[in-house]
This record gives sequence, structure tokens and C-alpha cells, in this order.
Amino acid sequence: MRAFLLKIEPLIWLMFGQGILIGTMLLTGWILVVGLLIPLGIVDAGALSYDRAYSLATASLFGFVPIGKLVLAALLVLPLWKGAHHVRSLHVDFGGAERDGVVGMLLYGIALVGSVVGVVAVVGL
Amino acid sequence: MAEKTIVITRFDPDKDQAPRKQEYKVPCEPDWKVLDAVNFIKDELDGSVSHRWSCRMAVCGSCGMMVNGQPKLTCKTSINDYGDRIDIEPLANFPVVRDLVVELDGFMHKFESVKPWIVRAKEKAADKAALHATKGTYTQSAEQLATFKQFSMCINCMLCYSACPVVANEPEFLGPAAIALGHRYNMDSRDEGKAERNAIFRGEGTVFSCSYANECSEVCPKNVDPAAAVNQAKFEAVIDWAKNLVLPRGGA
Amino acid sequence: MGRPAHPHAMAPPKPGRTRTAPPQMPSTWWSAPRIRNYLLFDATGIVYYLISFLAIGMVQALGRGPGAWDAVMTRLQHPAYIAFHVLCLVSVVFVAIRFFSLFPKAQPKMIGPLKPPPASLIHVALYVVWFGITAVMTAVLAGVIF
Repeated sequence: MRAFLLKIEPLIWLMFGQGILIGTMLLTGWILVVGLLIPLGIVDAGALSYDRAYSLATASLFGFVPIGKLVLAALLVLPLWKGAHHVRSLHVDFGGAERDGVVGMLLYGIALVGSVVGVVAVVGL
Repeated sequence: MAEKTIVITRFDPDKDQAPRKQEYKVPCEPDWKVLDAVNFIKDELDGSVSHRWSCRMAVCGSCGMMVNGQPKLTCKTSINDYGDRIDIEPLANFPVVRDLVVELDGFMHKFESVKPWIVRAKEKAADKAALHATKGTYTQSAEQLATFKQFSMCINCMLCYSACPVVANEPEFLGPAAIALGHRYNMDSRDEGKAERNAIFRGEGTVFSCSYANECSEVCPKNVDPAAAVNQAKFEAVIDWAKNLVLPRGGA
Repeated sequence: MGRPAHPHAMAPPKPGRTRTAPPQMPSTWWSAPRIRNYLLFDATGIVYYLISFLAIGMVQALGRGPGAWDAVMTRLQHPAYIAFHVLCLVSVVFVAIRFFSLFPKAQPKMIGPLKPPPASLIHVALYVVWFGITAVMTAVLAGVIF
């Protein structure tokens, strides 16, 4: 398993890098508004009523670029790869090098499944 | 002059089951480095203490030890930085041969594997044309040198290996100094061995095992910044991998 | 004396002629503030997993219609979810600050047209882009624009 992971490591590292870079940048605003400002009532709940949320998610730029879905997909998928890579690293930090192959496959597998489910959910809107 | 208690980790494989601590009362001069205290112990108090040292000026890389839990070059570490009790242990993450002397063959093996030398085919006609008119040497601009000069400053003192959490937990990992020096040659404009080194960088000792703890760069006494080298090497390895997908190396 | 490192850490390719003592991790490993920061940085991976799962669930609810969406938005008002999102915000800011300081020096120093800008410029640019994207997203999601 470790041999397979070694082969695909550059790709995983790229996904992880984007997860940290783009994922972090996109998540900040999302957490602020969706997770805190609206539930706490500081921003009016109507801002993300079903109608508005749906129109934002399906918004398009210049009439053909599905900007809403692209941003949403990035926000759903990229943090998973940051999560997987760092949890794997945490496992090694605590002495888990022997099972690194299996644990790595499991964590990246979760990220992959989550990515597919996320993209399907976004595309199906 | 102040008396300090220096605690040295002792280990004699013929006598000891496991390493043990031994205390010495040392009259320290204010301008001493930690190495002076250890040398005093060996010269005046207990000749059986074994430790490595050489240049006394932080260029040979021999005197690396853990001082109060931190990897230090003992010739460069002032005794005044510490209180009355100084705990000296052999470098962390290395097997211990005796007292403060660690087994370095593991590092030498990893180091050799990255081919830390200029890899270049025999001189080509173009090389002859590029030779300096009067000096007969290859030219390298200051800008080309700047891409790797910092990484060439490594004195192989191994402090970075003691600081690295991945070295502690993953035996195959190449480690900061080996990768930094391999990267130093990859970035050298005279070198042609990038493909071979990148194959090592993506092998069992993979550079991608580095989790960017940055501890190596924090403890490096020569400001080599191995963390920068390792993470630059990751980028380079990705580019190498991508190029290989599009244009596979024939017969490699 | 510290805790043991991996038994084969920095092991020589062939055993030496005498018995060696096993490698130890630095004795101050767990207590050092820098190490704690590094481990926390890795631990934020768990938070990133969780926020992603939650966001996926929310998009699925959006796809099911107004009833499901309103139910999800109401559930987010529960104190446990608020606490979780506070943790998420702290994590994301912590990751950004640490990553932005580490990212610039990881760019290979190439020369010629591919030369990256100076590290300090990259560092500032990352913050500018981060604030910019956050401001735009906050404004859009909060109904200030569009």
C-alpha cells in the first residue's frame, strides 16, 4: 500500500496544497456567515433563505460559467485533502509509521469518497 | 567563575544495560561554551567520558549534543545561557554508540543515496566553448549561485535530524540535511543529475514525508534553512512527475 | 530521559561492532511551545474534515428543497454548532497565519522568466488575497451584494 501511495504522492500533495491555500481562503467567509453571523442573528436569516441560497449556488458568470457551483465544489472538496494529509501526518507524529500505508489509504479514501459525494451534490443542484 | 552541575548521559555497552545519568560539579568560567565544560570533565574529572568535537568554531559539525533537551553545537553555545544545572545528552533520534557519541552511518547512507556531487557527462563541445577564456573554468553567474548557495553551507552537524519529528518516527525518511544537499545539487546550473536525484526523492525516503514542522530550520546553526530546501524539492519533484506523465523518460 | 523514537530511527545499513542504545526523542518534545503549535497545526486536519462533511450535508439539503434547507439552517443555531464553528474559525485563521509564513520560502529560486517574486512580497500578497476573498464571500453570503 505504501508503494502505491508513493506513486501518487505528488498528486496528493498538490491537492493538499490547494486544500490549505484555496480551501482556507474560501472557508473563512463561509464559516463567518453561514456558521456564525446568521445563526447568531447578527445577519438577517433571509440572506440565506432557500431561494437566495439556491440562486447563489446556481449563479453563473457571463451566462455560462457556473461560478456558484465551482466555488461550492472547491469549498467542499479541497479541505478534505488538507484534512486527510494532516491527520495522516498526526498519526505518524504519534508513532504510527508502521501502519502508515493502511492509514494513508483509509484517510485519502475518505477524502476521495467525500469529494465524489460533494461534487455529485453540487452538480445535481 | 560559577560552579554548575553538568549532567552527562553515560552509556558503555560493555557495562551498562541502558544509558544512565552522571553528575559532575564543574567550575565554569563566564566565557565558556558548553563544550569547554565537557572538555573540563574529560580532562580533569572523568577521563572515561566520550564525546566528539574538533574545530571549536562551528564549522566542522562534530560537537552536536542535546543541551537541556535542545539540539545544539556545544562549541557555539554559551554556558551563560543556562542556570546551575545543565543536562547534556547525545543527539536525539540517533542510536547511541557510547556516552555522547552517536551512530552516524545511518545518515551517511542516506546522504550518499542522494548523490551529493556534480553529476555531469563527459565534456561536450558546447562545454569547451563555455569555458572561461583565460581561467579554463565553467562560469556560473551570481544569480545562478544564489539559487542554491544557502543550502551548500551545511556542515552535516545533524542537529536538524534531532529536531525533526518525521526522522524520529519514520526510519526511511531521508531527512533534512540529505534532502537539502541533494536539492543543492539539483539547483546547481552545472549539474545534470536532477532526474536521478528526483527518483531518490520520490523513493522510500520520500521528500513528501516532510510535514513542514520547520524545526530543522529553527535549530540549524548555519542558517541553511533545510525546511525551505525540502519543500522546494517537493515542488521540483511534482514538476518532474508531471513532466514524466507527459513525456515519459525512455527506458528509465 | 525522554521517550523512545522509532527503534530503527537513523539505523545504520549494517549493524556496528558494538551494541547501541536505542534512539530517543528530545526530552522536551511534548512541552516545547513550537512543537505544540506544529501538532495543533496537524490536528486542524480533523476540523477541516468535519467542516467539509457538514458543508456537503448542507449542499445535499439544498438539493432536497426548502424544507430540508430550513431545517439545516435552524440546526446551525444550536450552541454545539456555534461552538464548532468558532473552533473552525480559530483553526482556519491559525492555519492561514502559519501557512502564509511558511509558503514563500518553499518556492524554488528559479531564474529568468519563471522567477518568483521576493518572499516578503508573496507573504503580503497571500494576506491581501485572503482578506479580499473573505470580504467578497462574506458580502455575498450576507446579502450585502448580489
